[in-house]
Amino acid sequence: MQKCASTKFWISVLALLVALPIFVVAFSWLLPESELWAHFSENLLPDLIRSTAILLVGVGLGVTFLGTILAYLVVMVEFPGRKWLEWALFLPFAIPAYVLAFVYLGVFDYSGYAQVWMREALGLPGFDIRAGSWAIILTFILVFYPYVYMMARASFKRQKINMIEAGKLLGASPFKIFFKISLPLARPAVAAGLLVTLMETLADFGVVGLFNYDTFTTAIYSAWGDYRSIEVAAQLASLLVLVAFFLIYFEKKARGQAKYYSTSVNDTKPYQASGIKAWMITLFVFGVFMLSFAMPMLQLLIWGWESIVEEWSTKYFDLISSTAILTFSAVAITLVVATVLALPNHCKQNSTWLKSIIRLATLGYALPGSVMAVGLLYGINQISALNLYFGGESLNHFIFGSIALLLFAYVSRFMAIAYSSIEASAQQIKPVLTQSARLLGASRLRLISRIYLPILTPGILAGGLLVAVDVMKELPATYLLRPFGWDTLAIQVYELSAEGLFERAAVPALIMVLFGSVLMLIFQLLDKKSFK
Amino acid sequence: MNINIKSLFSSAVVISTIAITITTNANTEGAHNWNEPSVTVYSSRKEHLIKPLFEAFTKDTGIKVKYLTGKGGALIERLKLEGTDTQADMFMTVDAGNLWYAGSQGLFQKVKTTALSKNIPEHLKDPDGLWTGLSVRARTIVYNTERVKSSDLSTYADLASPKWEGRLCLRTSKKIYTKSLVASLIYHHGEDKTGDIISGWVNNLAATPNAKDSHVMNAILSGQCDVGLVNTYYYGRLLAKKPNAPLKLFWANQDTTGVHVNISGAGVTKHAKNTKGATQLLEWLSSAKAQAIYGALNKEYPANQSVASDEVVSAWGAFKQDKMNLSQAGILQATAVKLMQKKGYR
Repeated sequence: MQKCASTKFWISVLALLVALPIFVVAFSWLLPESELWAHFSENLLPDLIRSTAILLVGVGLGVTFLGTILAYLVVMVEFPGRKWLEWALFLPFAIPAYVLAFVYLGVFDYSGYAQVWMREALGLPGFDIRAGSWAIILTFILVFYPYVYMMARASFKRQKINMIEAGKLLGASPFKIFFKISLPLARPAVAAGLLVTLMETLADFGVVGLFNYDTFTTAIYSAWGDYRSIEVAAQLASLLVLVAFFLIYFEKKARGQAKYYSTSVNDTKPYQASGIKAWMITLFVFGVFMLSFAMPMLQLLIWGWESIVEEWSTKYFDLISSTAILTFSAVAITLVVATVLALPNHCKQNSTWLKSIIRLATLGYALPGSVMAVGLLYGINQISALNLYFGGESLNHFIFGSIALLLFAYVSRFMAIAYSSIEASAQQIKPVLTQSARLLGASRLRLISRIYLPILTPGILAGGLLVAVDVMKELPATYLLRPFGWDTLAIQVYELSAEGLFERAAVPALIMVLFGSVLMLIFQLLDKKSFK
Repeated sequence: MNINIKSLFSSAVVISTIAITITTNANTEGAHNWNEPSVTVYSSRKEHLIKPLFEAFTKDTGIKVKYLTGKGGALIERLKLEGTDTQADMFMTVDAGNLWYAGSQGLFQKVKTTALSKNIPEHLKDPDGLWTGLSVRARTIVYNTERVKSSDLSTYADLASPKWEGRLCLRTSKKIYTKSLVASLIYHHGEDKTGDIISGWVNNLAATPNAKDSHVMNAILSGQCDVGLVNTYYYGRLLAKKPNAPLKLFWANQDTTGVHVNISGAGVTKHAKNTKGATQLLEWLSSAKAQAIYGALNKEYPANQSVASDEVVSAWGAFKQDKMNLSQAGILQATAVKLMQKKGYR
């Protein structure tokens, strides 16, 4: 019992530290500001809540549908090109959402090639792509479907082929088998992918900004940028956290054993598509790949080619090394903390307090990056004030503009990704394993290094790669918190595209996508290895 | 998987700790080396627009300039929170509203020197000397020459008239340039009339307001709409790429208040460690030499009226500037935003 108390204490401290920005945001309610709230609730909020809800529902349905279907096809059906499309479908992960958005607007806006061609060659009328919600929903679906695809694919791979064969023998149609067997089994995995997607959508500012589509984050930025009220901005942001909390709650209910990773393999495809049907499937899957990765890449390449001479300079070596160091450090710390939080532990199992506080530590993902960053600065300022009050020194000088603060923001923001990946692996550690090791006299340290970590490795590596891609793409927190001279590729993309210089922005964007793709390929290789 | 997890893990931690220590130290070392004369600037002007200026300044004076770019609002919050601990000697940003707000938050110190009063006209400066405009950006009407006669154009307010229904493209109300323009309308016309103008604009829109001025011009070129409002340097950039585009600037409000202008500018921070160096940089930036570079880099107008505009820019013709003191753009900005939000201008 004594031991549990200290375990409880240290894990709580760690989790609370990661959750610090959430607390800062929540405490904002102690500073009410009613006049602005009246204006917001009268003029903005009803529309914003509606448009945010439409976006969440549309994107949610879209990624669920697309991600699941694609995963099912590549795992269960043999069709031409399946092998390379299976990994190619991961690649859109490497494209930051705001980059895809500016490429799409460049191509499909009224003045983009696609519409010009439609009007001039086909004589069709033009349309405003940013009117309504459908275009932005489609864009989000194309960037975020890999979350669901990845989770669902792992889940389908684990499904025992004999169950499906049995279904076939009993004369069930492929559709019936899909809906009655495969889908219900994959539901938790799909829910987990969906959760990440919805939280990303909720916190996005880049894509909605480019489409000029108003969501809840619009109100947050307006409160902060237009009315200079950090308080109201934080209060609004805390509502986002509340929504995320409910999403997590429902996901937890739906989730069960979902994993990014699996250990058992299923390599025979139950269905062999042939003839025209097979090619239709290829066309569909290839089409998604084209729209979500190949076409945007091609556009970036064309823009990059046009502007490389003007844009390229030796400073890119600095940009790349800053990005790499930040990414590597953030990933290392996030993984260590996430692993500590996810390690199975009898104290944790019996403590609702610990479980909920760890849950809290994963909520940072729903906070828009810049809200989190300001929350952090604000929080540290309060701590400094407290310290001054008790006769200490201000910490601001030491902390503001330090790498440590930026890394802290990354860890807090991307904990959810690392944690859920590692926790999924941790669920394979059955209590009996721990008990027998203990009976054989293994110390806790030995237990962790010899039994837990090897089992957790796939989850840790997968989580690490996903966090790496996310950190590399991260913009708002980096922009606000970075120390002097720490410009990243994402910042270069933003600075150029904010001035409307999309052609030049394509150069850093391409480098970023290239690195991201390499990371996704490593992910693939590990994935293949783990399935063998 | 046969990697020794423990060693992999611990080496990752060790390496990253070392990396962090080295880099953090490098960073603080740079910041505390007071002996080397240097000025530290926080800037929301993008790097590619300020770097050549700072390099020229260092060449002239031997004073190094370190800078951090970021979004204006975010940098202001950072400055506020950093307080006396800040490393910034100068804060540089675009839009008079941002400068005014930074001033109202006590982030600047008064700087009134003979060089500045000689170089920069009054309406582009804070009345108390907290900040100084360094370049002028004019926001005016742009139109498709194939579908609009210049004689049909007159004022910003006129774009609200029914004859432009379905023909107008605007940039989003979230952009600071829109906010300051509307603030100037409130200053000249009052809130009620400005509300009507905004309603008229919204009613005339041919498409959802665009995210960028360049999108507005592309929309006009492709026939989605006929007229719009842009900052002139964006027009300059477009013309550099498409010299034959059927697109022209129209100087708005020439018979009334003049074209709405905004500034990019800077001030010396309240808690500057190197006030002298920062003041020197500010004066240098207002000098003829710097102003010429400024104008050429981004096709803006020099704030120093004795300096001629860049060749490309002067080809667009002379115009009468709105002489409203730009601190008004800051004072009225929140009212402007509220009004736009009420009238449904996204």
